[in-house]
Amino acid sequence: MIEGEEDQLQSGPDEYSDSEQDTDDELKEAFAAGLLKPGLNIVGEVPAKPKVKINVAALNQKLDDIKKDLPWVERLDMINAPAAIAPELAYKEEVHSQERQKDLRINKAKTGIEDDLVHNDFKREMLFYRQAQSAVLEGIQRLKSMNIPTKRPDDYFAQMVKSDDHMQKIREKLLSKQQTQEKIEKVKKLRELKKYGKKVQVEVQQNRLKEKKQLMENVKKFRKGKTDSLDFLEGGAPSKDGDKRINAKRKMKNDKYGFGGKKRGMKKNTKESASDVSEYRFNRNPNLKKKVGKGNQRPGKERRKKMSNKNKKRK
Amino acid sequence: MGEKSLKRARQKSEMETEDVDIEVPTTRGSEDEPLAKKGKWTNKTRVLVLCARGIGHRGRHLLQDLQNMMPHSKTESKMQKKESLFAANEMAEMKNCEKCLLFEGRKGKDVYMWAANVARGPSVKFEVENIHTMAELKMTGNCLRASRPLLSFDNSFTKDAHLKLIKELFVQIFGVPNKHPKSQPFYDHVYTFSVADGKIWFRNFQILDESGSLSEIGPRMVLNPIKVFDGSFCGQTLWENTRYITPNSKRAMLKKLKSHKYQDRVAAQAAHQAGKPTGPTFHTDETDVVFATVEDPDAKPAVPYQPVNKHKKKKNKNKKRSISAAVASG
Repeated sequence: MIEGEEDQLQSGPDEYSDSEQDTDDELKEAFAAGLLKPGLNIVGEVPAKPKVKINVAALNQKLDDIKKDLPWVERLDMINAPAAIAPELAYKEEVHSQERQKDLRINKAKTGIEDDLVHNDFKREMLFYRQAQSAVLEGIQRLKSMNIPTKRPDDYFAQMVKSDDHMQKIREKLLSKQQTQEKIEKVKKLRELKKYGKKVQVEVQQNRLKEKKQLMENVKKFRKGKTDSLDFLEGGAPSKDGDKRINAKRKMKNDKYGFGGKKRGMKKNTKESASDVSEYRFNRNPNLKKKVGKGNQRPGKERRKKMSNKNKKRK
Repeated sequence: MGEKSLKRARQKSEMETEDVDIEVPTTRGSEDEPLAKKGKWTNKTRVLVLCARGIGHRGRHLLQDLQNMMPHSKTESKMQKKESLFAANEMAEMKNCEKCLLFEGRKGKDVYMWAANVARGPSVKFEVENIHTMAELKMTGNCLRASRPLLSFDNSFTKDAHLKLIKELFVQIFGVPNKHPKSQPFYDHVYTFSVADGKIWFRNFQILDESGSLSEIGPRMVLNPIKVFDGSFCGQTLWENTRYITPNSKRAMLKKLKSHKYQDRVAAQAAHQAGKPTGPTFHTDETDVVFATVEDPDAKPAVPYQPVNKHKKKKNKNKKRSISAAVASG
């Protein structure tokens, strides 16, 4: 009995999940068949409208009623298909498509580039632009054939549909956009350069290590007697003096503390230092006589006073 | 009133500058022909452009943009709500206009546009969506205020009967008449009307050079045709858009979608409760202890597992103990 109840209770969620599963499958099929488009599909009952018969005859009648027989110059209307896509425009579309693909990948959206709304928007605007282009080409040509001036000369100043202040604002905005773009690119380049610089540094260090290793190996070989010549020591370009500028402070510290501070016993006499007579000179320069008596003596007080007064006077 | 007169004065001065641009010879003989006149203005189409109350700022700016660009337009103050739309016909006749462009706003959000031929002709009602006015800084183009536009239509305007009618109406409304006294001579902008998804997309481009480089001036709008009527603001419905959904219905549908959130939550809770196991998760057979041999007679008999109560009672540290209890604990 208990099991039966359990079964009944469990049928509830199963039913629910089954119905969900059905609608999911239906949706998938509809999408695959192309009936559903991506984006917000508003599910709901569209208010039922009574079927309307379109009165085509009446529409045409009305059209004939309002038509005026005017030459083309009065109307300036044209039917245009979008013009052929110019290479610059094709390039811009390509760039936009790639940017959007990057964005979609980052946002992990499941829609492909074909269904991306922003890119479709861009393509639609391109179509309008191209339609306008073909209109311009056709219209201007027709007007020119009728000897009607079409191009505004540069010295024709008249009231424009947007004020000069507004155009100034637009120009400033474009300029600021350009500047921010340039800044971003500069920063990107710097970052790239840093990475590159780091790469170069790493490479140089590795090269140095390699050379050192090679040198040690060659020395070992020589010591073991495998190679006779000492040519490897001279290998490499002579280093410039500028490279080897040693910091005086560093040198001092090295001497004082280098190799684990072995300078502790330096002031004591050892066997070698006691028997070292190299600094003991008998007669360095026998020609030089020692001055007896007064040598380089300081002038007396009177003399000194006179000297200082002399200097003072000259002031 | 003062502003209006200023406008007229400015336009007059601009016309004067126009005349000055034309080279005038210093002397003139009496036999010479007078200077060529501008030409006769034959197509005397005037359009009444106005709005009804409740339009909102965006619709108002769109209206102003259109008024600026159409020199053959006449304007009127806001139409009151108590008058029916039919009153627009009378207003148009008073101003001697044969066409009318009326903007209506609802709820401060939805904008509708009526394009009508006042005398006896058809009228069309549109819902205006995606309005971008000329003041937006992304629209970088500029053109002469009263120059005549080139009108460009999509291929779809030749196929459907209602679109052919709409095209004719637009040509007569948006096209500036040739040699109109307020119009300016050169051709530097083009209007495009294209059909996508059954809606008419309107764009206005400046012709930067004759080889085809353009830049957008604005305004931008999408016109969703609702109905075509036989008369002007009245009459039989000649055509109706079967795919049209009113903005209120759209909003209602979206809200209904959101209402499912609560219902879904309730259903999910019920499902969770139903799916919970009622008895113990670890089934033990109570007869398992039957064969357990008791080795230690003092030991406690085996008892099936019972979960330990994890929530231990906190010991009261400050409880005063009796002396006997203290002695007992040692």
